[in-house]
This record gives sequence, C-alpha cells and structure tokens, in this order.
Amino acid sequence: MTTLLESRYRMVLRLLPAYYRREREEEMVEIYLWDVDRETQDQSRPTLGEVASIAALALRTRLGAAGAPRPYDRLGAAVRLFALFAVLLQAASAVVDRVLGLTWATTHGPAQWDMYLSGFTVRGPALAVVEITVWTLPLLWTAAYFALLHGRLRLARAAALLAALPTLWPFLAPLVSTWFPPSTAFTTTTALFAWLTALTLCAAHHRDAPPASLPVGTPGLAFAACSVVMGASVVLLPLAADTVWAPATCFAVGALGWLLWRARRDDRGTACGAIALAALGLLLLTVRVAALYPWLGTPVPALVLGGALVQAGVLSLLVAVLAVVGGRDLAAAR
Amino acid sequence: MTQATFFVLTALADQPRHGYGILREVEDLSGGEVRLRVGTLYGVLDRLTADALIVLDREEVQQGRLRRYYRLTDDGMRALTAEAERMAAGASAAQRRIAEGRRAPERPVTPPATGPGLAGGLA
Repeated sequence: MTTLLESRYRMVLRLLPAYYRREREEEMVEIYLWDVDRETQDQSRPTLGEVASIAALALRTRLGAAGAPRPYDRLGAAVRLFALFAVLLQAASAVVDRVLGLTWATTHGPAQWDMYLSGFTVRGPALAVVEITVWTLPLLWTAAYFALLHGRLRLARAAALLAALPTLWPFLAPLVSTWFPPSTAFTTTTALFAWLTALTLCAAHHRDAPPASLPVGTPGLAFAACSVVMGASVVLLPLAADTVWAPATCFAVGALGWLLWRARRDDRGTACGAIALAALGLLLLTVRVAALYPWLGTPVPALVLGGALVQAGVLSLLVAVLAVVGGRDLAAAR
Repeated sequence: MTQATFFVLTALADQPRHGYGILREVEDLSGGEVRLRVGTLYGVLDRLTADALIVLDREEVQQGRLRRYYRLTDDGMRALTAEAERMAAGASAAQRRIAEGRRAPERPVTPPATGPGLAGGLA
C-alpha cells in the first residue's frame, strides 16, 4: 500500500519531465524510502533541500541534459541561444551607453562635465555610492559575455547576476530616498529583460550543456559589430535615442542579417536560432512599448515619437517572421 | 572532475552499487563531508552514463521496488585512476613543502626600511 510519504515524494518527482520519470521514478522513490520506518512514514515530509535538488534536476533535464529527447534538446538549444544573444545585447548596450555619455560630458565644456557628475552626487554621498554602483555593475555584462564564450561558466553566471542587480534599484529607491522611477511599466520590463537574461544564462548553460558558441563570427567581432551599430544608431539620430533605441536597432539589424544568412543555408539546423531571436525580439518589443507608452498623448518631438513607433513596428514584423520561420524549421526537422 | 563525481566513481570502484548504496558509500568515503541529495546524485549518474564512465550493471526488484546497480566501465576506471594519481601527486607535493618548511632554520624577520614615506615625510 502506498504511504503518505511515498505519495508526497511522487508528487515532488512530478516536477521532472515525463521521459525522465518513466526512466528513473521507481529507483528514486526506492532511495527516498530506503531507511524510513514504515510506521513513521505518514508523519514525514520531503525536506526543502530534497525538493530543491529535484527542482534543479527538473530544470536541467528540460534544458537539454545528456540523453534528453529531441524536443527538450531543442528547447535547451533555443534557451541557450536566447541567453547568449541577450547577454551580447546587454553587454554592448552597457558599454556604448557609458562611452557615449562620457564622450558627451568630456567634450562639451566644464558645465556639461559638472552636470554629468551631478547625476551621481545630487542626492548626497550615500546615494552617490549607489549611483556609481548602478553605473558600474552593468559593465559586467561584457565579462559575462566573454566568460560564457570561453567556457568560464561560474564567472559568467556571477557576472550576469551582478550586472542585473541595478535594475532592482528603481524598486528600492522610493523606500530609502525621495526619488521615484519615471515609469513603473518601463522599470518593470527593463528588470524583466535583465533578469530573464541572467537567469536563462544560469539555467541553460549548465555543466552538461554543449559549450556556448555564436552561429557566426568570433566573440570579439560580434561584440564590436553590435557596439558599432548601437553607437551609430545614437550618433545618427540622437533625438530619437532613448534607452531602448540602440539595443532595439541592433537587434533589428542583427535579426535581419540572420534571416538573410539563413536563407542561403540548405539545412534546417537553424530552427533554434529563429525561436531564440523571436523570443528576444518579443521581449525587446515589450520594453520598447513600455518606454513609449508614457509619452503617448504628450507634446514630444515628432522624431522621438515617430522613431519609437517605427521601431516598434519593425520589431513586431521581425518577431512575426522569426516565429513563422522557426516554426517551419522545427516542423521540417521533426 | 567535481568532488561529487570523484566520490561517486570511487564508490563504484570495488563493486556495482545501487543508488542508495552509492549515497551511503559516498558519505562514508568522505567521512560525512559529502552528503549527496537524490537530485544531485542522478545529475551525476546521468553525466557519467553519457560520458560512458559508468553503465547499468543489473536491475533487481526487492519488495516490489526497483533497484538499479551501476558499475564502472574501463574508461571510468581509467578516469578515476588518473584523478586519484593527480590528487595524490598534489598531496605529496604539499607534504614535501611542509616538511621542507619545518626542517629549514628560522629566517630573521627583516625590519621595514627606514626613510622618507610615500608622501615624502619622515613619519
């Protein structure tokens, strides 16, 4: 007869994918119940540590662990590519944003430099430390990107988690200062973008996963190309450049380039790339709309509004095309 | 090779064992330092199986429950031997250095150089 404890363990094991449970559930239950007295089984429960270890195994087996069936293998590949592309965008965006900001501040006279510095110091010395940390930590996206592509997974994970931390500051700031974030929707979607990037990197690039690699080009070249596209997009249309402008433009150029590159290939091994880019595009579109929303109905320059609307349209179109291409490639690869 | 992987391979070095046997053996071998959870154990077993370092030896059904016994392959034994030799070499080097340190006469402590400080003063 099944005891209550056995039922509880089987309930926890339902976190695992069906293919894994078919293979392992019975022997795992045997281990759990080995030295537990049958008389006391109804008073016992799985510990938090046991549940956590099964949850970690469940995540790993769903994201392409060794011997996983093809659907999980493909899901894992798509999530790994999503994390890689997202880290690349975050890394280039953080560097370009700071380089352009510093260039502007140091080439427009002492008044501009003072104004730039006052962004850190205006709220007092304690918050200045926070502002400097918020300015500095996103640069760790670059460390995460290169560490990931050089197989230094632990460093990549730590750097990505630290780099994502500043996106939480707008939620904490109102509790400890008089500063309020300009838009809840924007800060929420920005934090979502950063944390999805960091968490998918941590979950999908596990020790058993294939090493991270770009579909085309070298890590340095891809980073430089993204930085140049982002920098150029801001320099050419400075009035339209809000915080989403550069990464969204870079994504649009990159996704278009990827679609052209894919069109010249005969194999359908690129399905995961299309799905990963579609997911990344959808996330960027959400951030784009959240950044645009507070300005609707207010008197803003036509270039700002027009640029953001055109960008949102291009992103929507690209997401739709990538989703269709990815779906077709997946169907063809079955 | 991670600590968990090393101890799982070591637990299987002398005879095939089932999951619970591996957990207990790892705990004994490590003097209670390493206590694997079931999720962690199966992550390690999956990886070792994929790398062909262990294989399924046999299955038994005891009181209606399934027990799977795993054993080392030749590649697994080679990997474990190599890791054990690497660790032994590291331990020997450390012991040699400790012994040399004990034999060497105590060196006199060099007093800090007197002179102008970094700022140019005499303080």
